Amino acid sequence: MAEPRTRRLSVIGILVASLLLTLFGRLYYVQVLDPHKPKQTADLLHQGQFAVPAPRGQIVDATGRPLVTNRPTHAVTVDRETLLEQPDQGAAVLARLAKVLGTPERDLAQEITPCGVHVPSPCWTGEPFQPVPVATDASTATVLAISEHRELYPGVAVQTQTVRDYPGGTLAAHVLGYTGAVSADDEKHDPKLNDADTIGRSGLEEQYDSVLRGTDGAQVLQLNPQGYSVGTVSDIPAQPGDTLVTSLDRNVQSLAEQSIRAQIAASRKAGKPATSAALVVMDPNTGRIVAAASYPTYDPQVFVGGISVADYRKLTAPSAHDPLVSRAIAGQYAPGSTFKLITSSSIIMHHEATLGGTYPCPPSLSVDGRVKTNFESESPGFPLTLGQALKISCDTWFYAFAANEYYADQQRTDAGKKPNEYLQHMASSFGVGTPPGVDLPADEQASGSYADRETRLARWKANRTKYCADAKRGFPDEPNPAQRAFLTKLAAENCTDGWRYRAGDNADMAIGQGETTLSPLQLAVAYSAMINGGTLWRPTLGRAVVDAHGKVVREINPTVKAKVPVSRSVLKYFANQLRFTPDHSVSGALAFDTAPYKTGIGGKTGTAEVFGQQDTSWLASWGPVGASGKARFVVVGMVEQGGTGASSAAPMVRKVYDGLLGAGRPQVLAGGRPEATLPTITPAAQVTTSAPRSQPAGTRPASPTRGPVSPSPTRGPGSPSPARGPVSPGPSGTPDVTPTFGPRR
Amino acid sequence: MTLLARDPAAPMRLGPSRVLRPQRIRRGIDVVLCVTTLALALIGAVLVWSATRSRLADEGSNPQGYLYRHLGNVGIGVALAIIAARVDVRRLRTIGPLLYLGSLLGLLAVFAVGTTINGAHAWIMLPGGMELQPSEFMKLGLIAGLAVMFTQWRGSDRAMLRPATPDILLAIGLITVPLVLIMLQPDLGSAMVLAATAFGLLIAADVPARWTLGLIAVGALGVFLAIKSGVLADYQLARFRVFANPGHDPRGAAYNVTQARIAIANGGLFGRGLFQGPQTRGAFVPEQQTDFVYSVAGEEFGLLGAGLIIVLFAVLCWRGLRIAARADRTGRLLAVGVVCWFAFQAFQNIGMNLGLTPVTGLPLPFVSYGGSSMFAQSLAVGLLIAVDRYATTRRPVV
Repeated sequence: MAEPRTRRLSVIGILVASLLLTLFGRLYYVQVLDPHKPKQTADLLHQGQFAVPAPRGQIVDATGRPLVTNRPTHAVTVDRETLLEQPDQGAAVLARLAKVLGTPERDLAQEITPCGVHVPSPCWTGEPFQPVPVATDASTATVLAISEHRELYPGVAVQTQTVRDYPGGTLAAHVLGYTGAVSADDEKHDPKLNDADTIGRSGLEEQYDSVLRGTDGAQVLQLNPQGYSVGTVSDIPAQPGDTLVTSLDRNVQSLAEQSIRAQIAASRKAGKPATSAALVVMDPNTGRIVAAASYPTYDPQVFVGGISVADYRKLTAPSAHDPLVSRAIAGQYAPGSTFKLITSSSIIMHHEATLGGTYPCPPSLSVDGRVKTNFESESPGFPLTLGQALKISCDTWFYAFAANEYYADQQRTDAGKKPNEYLQHMASSFGVGTPPGVDLPADEQASGSYADRETRLARWKANRTKYCADAKRGFPDEPNPAQRAFLTKLAAENCTDGWRYRAGDNADMAIGQGETTLSPLQLAVAYSAMINGGTLWRPTLGRAVVDAHGKVVREINPTVKAKVPVSRSVLKYFANQLRFTPDHSVSGALAFDTAPYKTGIGGKTGTAEVFGQQDTSWLASWGPVGASGKARFVVVGMVEQGGTGASSAAPMVRKVYDGLLGAGRPQVLAGGRPEATLPTITPAAQVTTSAPRSQPAGTRPASPTRGPVSPSPTRGPGSPSPARGPVSPGPSGTPDVTPTFGPRR
Repeated sequence: MTLLARDPAAPMRLGPSRVLRPQRIRRGIDVVLCVTTLALALIGAVLVWSATRSRLADEGSNPQGYLYRHLGNVGIGVALAIIAARVDVRRLRTIGPLLYLGSLLGLLAVFAVGTTINGAHAWIMLPGGMELQPSEFMKLGLIAGLAVMFTQWRGSDRAMLRPATPDILLAIGLITVPLVLIMLQPDLGSAMVLAATAFGLLIAADVPARWTLGLIAVGALGVFLAIKSGVLADYQLARFRVFANPGHDPRGAAYNVTQARIAIANGGLFGRGLFQGPQTRGAFVPEQQTDFVYSVAGEEFGLLGAGLIIVLFAVLCWRGLRIAARADRTGRLLAVGVVCWFAFQAFQNIGMNLGLTPVTGLPLPFVSYGGSSMFAQSLAVGLLIAVDRYATTRRPVV
């Protein structure tokens, strides 16, 4: 018989054995037998969607030459995961990388460490699974060094991103505009946008943002609760943006900008401040803009990847004279005598004068108790026809009509009737006071302005208190005593009589002074209407939208805004009268003296006085005029503080014609006329976002093995760079999948 | 003289007692026991490594940090075991009560200077970042204390070598005090192990069946009342509810169970391979290096690896019981206590990994990361060896 002790031990042994056998049985069931084995449930894994930014479409000129393209940049990224798997936790790799990048190794190590409570800045603020960019826009040498010795750089990858590139530098910068990073506001406005996108912030980039942006691809990754990728769920490639074909001609634009620079230099040499200038070249028959140049300008490249504070300060400094303002389209200036086209139209169409009649052109005229003189008190000493008055730009000739019109209106108002305000209505008919409707953002096109009774009264009502307070206070902050006295007097006058529209105001308007303003583009549109028989265009810059396969998605055609209420014969009369003749009877013709095409050109100068500044110099011109009476171009030039129209704007405009028509300099435009046909946009060969990489670097494959370091394939520097020839629209550079998640530094 | 010891079988007596001459050690060290224990500890090192490397890397720490610390614990454990193995078991008569009292003091100290981790006020922070969990040592202390008590205090029933009622009541008292203290922390898992170990000891000590069965009834009643009266903490009740119905709250209390279960279930026969378990790599299982270390074995080494651990525990228990079978009474009780401790704690821990037992914060002996348990269990193994080395005669030399 077993001793009790032994029996008890057996009991214990059986108990223990049964416990362990139970465990084994359960283990066997759970691992082998269980027919309902639990799987890794999807709700514990979650999906992360990451945008694959689409390369923006190109902007090309009327012949398909690129104005805005894309440029690949190489970013060097480091995958911490892979580094940490190295025997030395990546110390050697970091050391090599630091040497190649020229960054201290310690800085690199800090940069790639995810931020945490105990991790001081600089640290990685993105998701832990993301490869950390340690160098953006890396040099070719760096890229080569890394790519040629992949084995030395496990976890280090070169990623290619596309950014905006401006082959013409500052060429047409104002019109093309710039892009910026998507802000929270933008995302609210358009939920499809994301941080990875760039968005047009001005110019055509903003106006045609939706077609240029393309459709972002989406990469959906399976993430574990820690945010590490365990697989790719789906990968939708990005659709690159469409190409915008514009009516701009790169050569003409370049010529216009050269002409402006040359004239600015010449005017400054002649002692004029010549702070800014603008040129608009337009096809009067189609309403298409061939060139729109403004000075000063800026380099849109500074906005790529976000403008630096220093650059922004430089651009917004007072001494820079607002280079971001597109003066040709968004600037508005007193048009001076160029406005007489509108005044003349009003006078003739309302039968205040006849085309054959002659009217006086005295040296001076007293209007409403104020003596108004001609420019330098010139007078031929005999009455003039309208044509003659336009040619020599006799101001007093027009004053008389404006004053008479004013007095007639006053009688009407005294009689309780509405004033006719013929001049104002004619100005409005020529588009003054309304946006020109060019295909640019609304805040980048000036409407121009003029004064009338109603607006004067409304403004006075709104500002009376301020006028009166200013008059009382004087302008103690104004250092110049003369200016101070003038401002105070003006304020006093405005306080009491600011509501009053005077005869002098109407006279001022008649010669494009006073409160009359126009943008160079508006003037070009108005003169286009004159030379094309009365069609007031909504001018356009866009010509067509072409997709990545070269298919024309949409043609953009200018629309007619209005027909000016002036008969063809009258418009033809103006054009004929202002046509340059071999002599100098038309003001401004002097500048075209040696040009072989001189008599094919017509033009009206303007010299607008600006209080406290030098005159604004204008020339609104058209030509060459064919047998049908149609002109190929309308060219409007403006030089702020440039002096008379004939001395500053005219020579500037002449240089443009020289180039357009190939006189004295190489012809910049084939056939000397605006491009009529759409260029063939070849399918962008390399536009594909099917990145060879199915997972971004730094993700962990779920099974079965992670394998050795898999360098994320990028477009190596050895692969041929896509041609960026004159007619190769489509984003240059292979748009690599660049999962830009999380905040960027 | 250090080699002189009191007769362990002699009744407790104040004043000088008979001094025995030390006997020659007849047996060597139980190599199988040592190898088994070391194998468990080293398997534990690999599992702890696998469980922690990716999350350490994510934190930017040394991915081998836990591995090194676990190996350090193993080293200290080996040293402790060697020291314990050199103890003359006849000294247990003095060492046992001291161990018991010392552990009890440690438990009391927890209430004075302890720290709360994972809801249990069970740790004492030592300078230098060390943490001590006195309840782990209490298990050993209780075993040693009871072993000595049942030897020394045999009451009236000397002839039968069976404990009499006073002995049993004293034993119940000795069990109840630490049990209550541990319940107050509250550390339900340790309390359960303590109770189960003590129960095994009572059986081994020839306590009459009416007592042992009666205690089971009383215990069941106690558990019932504890649940009803709200003595148990909410999280403990939640764990029990999860145990009863694992699908009930997969994101909350059942999360551990579900994740561990997924890991083990997908291990299959051969496992995913070291470092390749998605659940482990993805750090889905909380506390995976401690209480749920078994799920790493299940996922990455499959039935073979996880089964091997159970087999190793079986070998451990077998060797322990073998030692018990040929030891003297004190040694036998000590060995049985240690075997019950290891077996029940392993059962409880592996069971909760497999969804067999409710989740209680208990490490898997030798395998889980954790210093206190490793040290206490190493000491226990050392004492087993000591028992085996010294208690070579069946009856005391009188």
